[in-house]
Amino acid sequence: VCVAGYGQSDGNEILQLIPPPTLLTKEAQGLCPERDFKVECGGFSERPVYSLKYVPDTSLLVTSGPPDSSLQVWQVSAEDSDVIKSVSTIATENGTEQSWAKIATISARAPWVLHGSRLDRVQITEVESRKNVYTAASRGSEELSTLAFLDCNTLLLCCATGRLCLADIRQPQSLVEATAVPSAPCTEQWCMGTRHGAQGSEPSSQPVARLSSRGLLTLTDLRKTSELLALAKARVPSPGSGAEFLCVSWAPALEGYLAISGFDGTVHVYDTQSWDSSGREAEPIFIHKGHAFGGAGGSGDPPLVTVHTWHLQKPRTLLSAASDGSLHVWDWVQPCGKC
Amino acid sequence: MPEIKVTPLGAGQDVGRSCILVSIAGKNVMLDCGMHMGYNDDRRFPDFSYITQNGRLTDFLDCVIISHFHLDHCGALPYFSEMVGYDGPIYMTHPTKAICPILLEDYRKITVDKKGETNFFTSQMIKDCMKKVVAVHLHQTVQVDEELEIKAYYAGHVLGAAMFQIKVGCESVVYTGDYNMTPDRHLGAAWIDKCRPDLLITESTYATTIRDSKRCRERDFLKKVHETVERGGKVLIPVFALGRAQELCILLETFWERMNLKAPIYFSTGLTEKANHYYKLFITWTNQKIRKTFVQRNMFEFKHIKAFDRAFADNPGPMVVFATPGMLHAGQSLQIFRKWAGNEKNMVIMPGYCVQGTVGHKILSGQRKLEMEGRQILEVKMQVEYMSFSAHADAKGIMQLIRQAEPSNVLLVHGEAKKMEFLKQKIEQEFHVSCFMPANGETTTILTNPCIPVDISLGLLKRETAIGPVPDAKKPKLMHGSLLMKDNSFRLVSPEQALKELGLAEHQLRFTCRVHIQDPRKEHETVLRVYNHLKGILKDYSVQHLPDGSITVESILIQATAHSEDQGTKVLLVSWTYQDEELGSYLTSLLKKGLPQST
Repeated sequence: VCVAGYGQSDGNEILQLIPPPTLLTKEAQGLCPERDFKVECGGFSERPVYSLKYVPDTSLLVTSGPPDSSLQVWQVSAEDSDVIKSVSTIATENGTEQSWAKIATISARAPWVLHGSRLDRVQITEVESRKNVYTAASRGSEELSTLAFLDCNTLLLCCATGRLCLADIRQPQSLVEATAVPSAPCTEQWCMGTRHGAQGSEPSSQPVARLSSRGLLTLTDLRKTSELLALAKARVPSPGSGAEFLCVSWAPALEGYLAISGFDGTVHVYDTQSWDSSGREAEPIFIHKGHAFGGAGGSGDPPLVTVHTWHLQKPRTLLSAASDGSLHVWDWVQPCGKC
Repeated sequence: MPEIKVTPLGAGQDVGRSCILVSIAGKNVMLDCGMHMGYNDDRRFPDFSYITQNGRLTDFLDCVIISHFHLDHCGALPYFSEMVGYDGPIYMTHPTKAICPILLEDYRKITVDKKGETNFFTSQMIKDCMKKVVAVHLHQTVQVDEELEIKAYYAGHVLGAAMFQIKVGCESVVYTGDYNMTPDRHLGAAWIDKCRPDLLITESTYATTIRDSKRCRERDFLKKVHETVERGGKVLIPVFALGRAQELCILLETFWERMNLKAPIYFSTGLTEKANHYYKLFITWTNQKIRKTFVQRNMFEFKHIKAFDRAFADNPGPMVVFATPGMLHAGQSLQIFRKWAGNEKNMVIMPGYCVQGTVGHKILSGQRKLEMEGRQILEVKMQVEYMSFSAHADAKGIMQLIRQAEPSNVLLVHGEAKKMEFLKQKIEQEFHVSCFMPANGETTTILTNPCIPVDISLGLLKRETAIGPVPDAKKPKLMHGSLLMKDNSFRLVSPEQALKELGLAEHQLRFTCRVHIQDPRKEHETVLRVYNHLKGILKDYSVQHLPDGSITVESILIQATAHSEDQGTKVLLVSWTYQDEELGSYLTSLLKKGLPQST
């Protein structure tokens, strides 16, 4: 688990943590008194870390954050040291605005990072050589909110406006647009979550979820982008905070489950299998409220959940982090049908 | 440069055998004398041959300080003082002095009686060792000898645990032992004042740990106990009389009260009284809440927790029992364990580390069939849980303590160097101090900058304060004077007074330099050219052209004469006193470059 700070001042830390043994293995293996995380290694970043991704099959990390859209590459585990070292910077041409790049990584043909702050600045760079491998055709200059590799050839881009764009990197000039979102006030911002299906399945067979800052959730099947698979509304507080921390993700081990966060100190879990396209309010399966209660209480603003993710193996376990520096690992108990 | 030398003793990078040698201003102090519980041979003791190859250690050490009663900090003490040989003072807090011998004896019993070891200290040795102990109070300055003094600070962690400040003159070292920066239910948090030691020595064993929230840990424990009791099972918690047991008791008592539970909770006979006795005796060592309520009601006399009687173990129905000893190696806890092990509804919760060879250790490693005395096999069907409730400082706690004490240097012991690099950088960046991480057996030398107090004469003080900006208490001021060292006193006086006192005459040094300048004009014209040139360049200095034809720059004199043989060359005589050396040299090199054409 890697955590990083996004404070304004110097000296943000990046920490790679090893969860306690009880969380690492699938079944309980022997006894262990530890419930604590261990800092395996740590590093210092001069700029705030807004986005952090591992590069699969390597010991590298890529981070991005203001003031510009360049990426920082870090070396994580060295034999003789526990310091995360800055290895290189992937520079990009900067606009005048204070933007930062969204990133996604893959290591299919080589370790690649897909990055960009706007729709007309999307590129894929090889991490180690910093060579540009692909530049997406420009189709507008909207701000991007989420990027993803659907497989080693297919990219999915989600703009802050909710617009989805598909691209095949073998055909540089193509950028296929997917459905727009239901009309909404223009201040509404969107982000997306994608899911990898079982090995060998078509990447576009998995529905793509989009979440708006008003709590609207749409599900789209990429093979049939003309209509929405489902539309629902989450019961969330009206958008007080910005859309910076909006996050939606699919459960890797539970079919049809997704989680959303970024509105307040809670994380909601939904079962989308019962959803239709009516746009009705959906009932969450579970709401994790720990961050709101966990803090010192009283002083300062209530914590805001900044990001969440699912445990890769344990089906109902999630990890979430909040603006007060807390990290929670939690699960929920499915109420049984009888009794 | 004065220096402080620190050497952690012991072989190997292992955790758990604390023993640190500190050499400060000629005094040698040993901090803690712990035993490693995992080894059965000499590796469990620190390697004292570092101090001296043979013979007793009394002459080599000025004192020994023990931080608290855990065996990895005091376990080797009887071996050290009676078997290797040391007769000097051993300092520790009052609770530590009271509890240490009990733990030592307990451990001796397991090692010798149960495991049959021979090279181990005896009961008598423990007693003889404790006779050398001098007990100290918190925040009490203890003079070990004329120059060496020590002071204990509250460390939390366990009853009587202390952090120690060791001071010789103006050099000081603070050793933390084990400490806890967050208060728990019966102990407060560690605290130290802004004593600004030259060096802070802290253990870094848990530095890479980010602690789980206490609430979650406690909830986990309570859940397990509750679930077992709800299904009618019995919970056995083997504990040592003092330490985490009190914490767990207070936790259970509060939970039982809140949930209105009826199942009985028992605490081993003898244990309750002993624990109560020590906590009452050392009430000032517990946290504020306990002290406040102690007047009305003894915190350690519980409503739901009663004294245990052997017969109760056979009672049907759910119950929770705290029993000693903690590793299930003998006594009551083992007896109860044997009775309850066969029922899968029951549970045993081990709250700490168990030494190899004990039943506790065996069941924690997964063994479910144990061989007991008389070749009997015991099948363990009860649930075995392992929960650590130890109170140690993590990285955040270490940073907090450094912030409180403001040391000039930090030394981390008991961590692997490779795994401490990040913490070292973090400390160096945040506090701008040097951070050291010696391996066991490696000596670290820390240079100190001691302050030496000096008397200043009134005349000099008056004179210096008249010059320059108004003195600011927060800013150092550069002064000019003479330091007289006589007998053992230092005095700062003006140079004139020093000369007078010593009966010496002052010498004046004056330098003169000749610079040749090509100039066919008359001397006074050359002088004028030089004057204008210098005036133009040396805007911050007082450049004057005197009526007698010479130029002064501040107190430096420049005169021009014609060269005796060559009328086209003028010779400039530049003359200055030793005090104006810098300006004099500068002027000379400036003039040597020649005069600009246009003047």
